[in-house]
Amino acid sequence: MTSPDQNSRDPRRDEVIAGEYVLGVLSAEDRRKVEARLQSDRAFAAMVNRWEENLSAINHELETMSPPPRVFTAVEQRLFDAPLADTSGARRSIWASVAFWRSAALAGFAFSMALLALGPEIFAPPERPQEMIAELSGSDNPISLMAHYDAARGVLTMTPAATRQDGGKSLELWLVEDGKTPVSLGVLSQSGDGTLMVPEAMRPMMNAGAVLAVSVEPLGGSPTGTATGPMVASGRARSF
Amino acid sequence: MRDDEISYLIGRICLKDRPAFKRLYDATSARLFPICLRILGKREDAEDALQEIYVKIWQKADRFSPDATSPSAWLAAIARNHAIDLVRARRPVASDIEEAYDIADAARDPEEASILKSEGRRIDGCMGRLEAEKAAAVRLAYVEGLSYEELASRYGVPLNTMKTWLRRSLLKLRECLGP
Repeated sequence: MTSPDQNSRDPRRDEVIAGEYVLGVLSAEDRRKVEARLQSDRAFAAMVNRWEENLSAINHELETMSPPPRVFTAVEQRLFDAPLADTSGARRSIWASVAFWRSAALAGFAFSMALLALGPEIFAPPERPQEMIAELSGSDNPISLMAHYDAARGVLTMTPAATRQDGGKSLELWLVEDGKTPVSLGVLSQSGDGTLMVPEAMRPMMNAGAVLAVSVEPLGGSPTGTATGPMVASGRARSF
Repeated sequence: MRDDEISYLIGRICLKDRPAFKRLYDATSARLFPICLRILGKREDAEDALQEIYVKIWQKADRFSPDATSPSAWLAAIARNHAIDLVRARRPVASDIEEAYDIADAARDPEEASILKSEGRRIDGCMGRLEAEKAAAVRLAYVEGLSYEELASRYGVPLNTMKTWLRRSLLKLRECLGP
């Protein structure tokens, strides 16, 4: 695909090559040539995508057949139990930890139980100070809720916070668009009111359907710009 | 599972969301497994391939672009490309992409083209417009991942005849399906 005439842009010939690639009739060598071209030629890549879309309907004629369970076991072993290959591996393994997911799921339940169990008495010590703070957490939960009570105004503020461990953690909020790398909306303030200023450039992305997710990061936020710790909560934005 | 749900799960997999990955596997593996099986032939080969395919899905989730293809076509393409690369390595065939393409006389007359356009743009309708034998060859190439040489010997026609069949069929399909 490096010969000069390849760039002659004969759309019919390109359409045929794209179709041959998707059908699967080409040799291994030609397949590599097509794939190299896909990296740099967007019009040609669009032709390949269109064939993939059009012809994929043929797959629906195949009868579905479940693979044996050992296949998924092997996939999980390959992806999550493999020896750590680099320094970021330790963090990745936290993302992959089933225990974290279980605890994230339990966290919400634990919070509500804690609130029910404590009742209003916790905010009513004898000397009745103007401001009080309570940290609500269950055992082994990566996040807890900070309750802040301003007695003068009668306002109780609940702020999510990372459980203090390993010298402190921060909760970071992410905006996730389908198919794209999550972008940070900022670190949730431990003592603040849960308000974050969305940068101007990111406001167009705040659409219904975007996913907001919270991860536990080292104190001050992710050092890499991408989520490195366990995701403890997420939800899809909708209009109201 | 609907396409938008699969899209959502792929988005979650970008976040390294393991439960989402499990859900995607549960929803799609029974569709991708038969694709591998038809191309590779043997069950154990198809199982090994499926394992590699889901490893790739986990690793490449961030490259999925909903604007370019539907998520089911994207997943099928990963599965088919992997399986076809395996059979092509197992049964090598000659390279021929640089040769002259004999497609110059495949142009249709305008009248027939307009009939095709009005027939709708679905693949089954458009396949029905091809001669039965040629439509069957296109289908066989896609489903079994056969090379030109294998198709030619399957149909007992010269290699160049098979190339002409499929290349003209592809152009007719594109014309019928629309851009």
